[in-house]
Amino acid sequence: MESAIGAAFDAVAQVHRLMSFHEPDSDVSRLNREAGTRPVSVHAWTFRVLETAVELHRCSGGCFDIAIAPALQAIGLLPPLKDKSAPILRSPDAIELLPEREVRFRSTDVAIDLGGIAKGFAVDRAVVVLRDLGIPRGMVNAGGDLRAFGAQTHTVHIRNPRHPSRSICRIEVTDEALASTARRVDLVDGGGSGSSAVIDPATQRPVSLIDGVTVRARSCMVADALTKVVMISGTDAGELLESYRADALLISTDGGVQITSDWHHAVHLAA
Amino acid sequence: MNWVRYTLPAAAILSAASPAYAVRYLSIEEAQKEAFPSATHFSEVQAGRVWKAEAGGKVVGFFVFDRVVGKHLFIDYAVALTPAGAVHKVEILEYRESYGGDIRSPSWLAQFVGKTAGSALKINGDIRNIAGATLSSTHVTEGVKRILAAYGNRLR
Repeated sequence: MESAIGAAFDAVAQVHRLMSFHEPDSDVSRLNREAGTRPVSVHAWTFRVLETAVELHRCSGGCFDIAIAPALQAIGLLPPLKDKSAPILRSPDAIELLPEREVRFRSTDVAIDLGGIAKGFAVDRAVVVLRDLGIPRGMVNAGGDLRAFGAQTHTVHIRNPRHPSRSICRIEVTDEALASTARRVDLVDGGGSGSSAVIDPATQRPVSLIDGVTVRARSCMVADALTKVVMISGTDAGELLESYRADALLISTDGGVQITSDWHHAVHLAA
Repeated sequence: MNWVRYTLPAAAILSAASPAYAVRYLSIEEAQKEAFPSATHFSEVQAGRVWKAEAGGKVVGFFVFDRVVGKHLFIDYAVALTPAGAVHKVEILEYRESYGGDIRSPSWLAQFVGKTAGSALKINGDIRNIAGATLSSTHVTEGVKRILAAYGNRLR
């Protein structure tokens, strides 16, 4: 058991090494340095995350955009890269996925950040490792992104984004992933309240209409990424959720809660 | 896909009382007295942050107030330093997280006593981790290390 848990942590560390924006030797850093000028070969895991990200970009009408890194840098949520203060290139094929796990960017102005999807993928990898080692059931929780496996039902409490010490609801989770994101109005006292790390590609600004989103999906990678789309497009994301067989709960700034219709049975609002 | 709108039960939105878990243990003044019971006078060296504790005109130590993020929320704490710049005492003033409050344990905080700017102050090294409070204990440890680096050799 101990060694299985160690192996799961190793998988998470491997995802970090490959996909961190901050690690100079990661696939992501290599891509940001070189893929604008020539195809760069990446690890199979990185390629898989990129495939999902590119597909989601297309299906969400550009809402989910890993090429948003320059906007995050502009508001100080990511460190600046040398000689990349470029305008953001909004194009469905800014990132080209080539055969043999090679990746090319359409221009040297493209910079990517997998922060909106890689953590969910790391949770999925950890679950694969645990299952392969014969663990029948369990839950991997990376703080905000989690996935339960096996027949057991787990109860997960969702914080009220405005009052984080209080639960807004509890959700029953069985053999599926749950990802949450929220504007944390309480995090910075004195600072600009309501800031968010989710950027609307259309405005290049942090989203502000929704306080929090929780998404249920089969894979944690998809759940993680879809939280961003729902933060940006709200209930308009319904069709996209359906196509990924996912569900969502969103908390509006007026405190109202909306839940996709076939999920409400698993969600119990706090009394 | 359809969305169903719910209005939150009033209790979940209102109940304007302070968050159930925020616990204020000590004010800065109380913490100063507790750290240096013999002190007769505290003078502000750096506004709201560093105080010099004196007893009968003699410096008995320094008191540094700081805050670090626990898992999501701030932890207010204070480090009392000896006149020579070693840790005399670490106190938690306010803890806002719903769990992880074990970092208040006297035996855990006692580990810092005597540490200096030259100490490793590494979680799972010379400072033990607390299961269930990994982030809080790591961040407080880093905070104490920062304070020692900033003030350990400078005050006096």
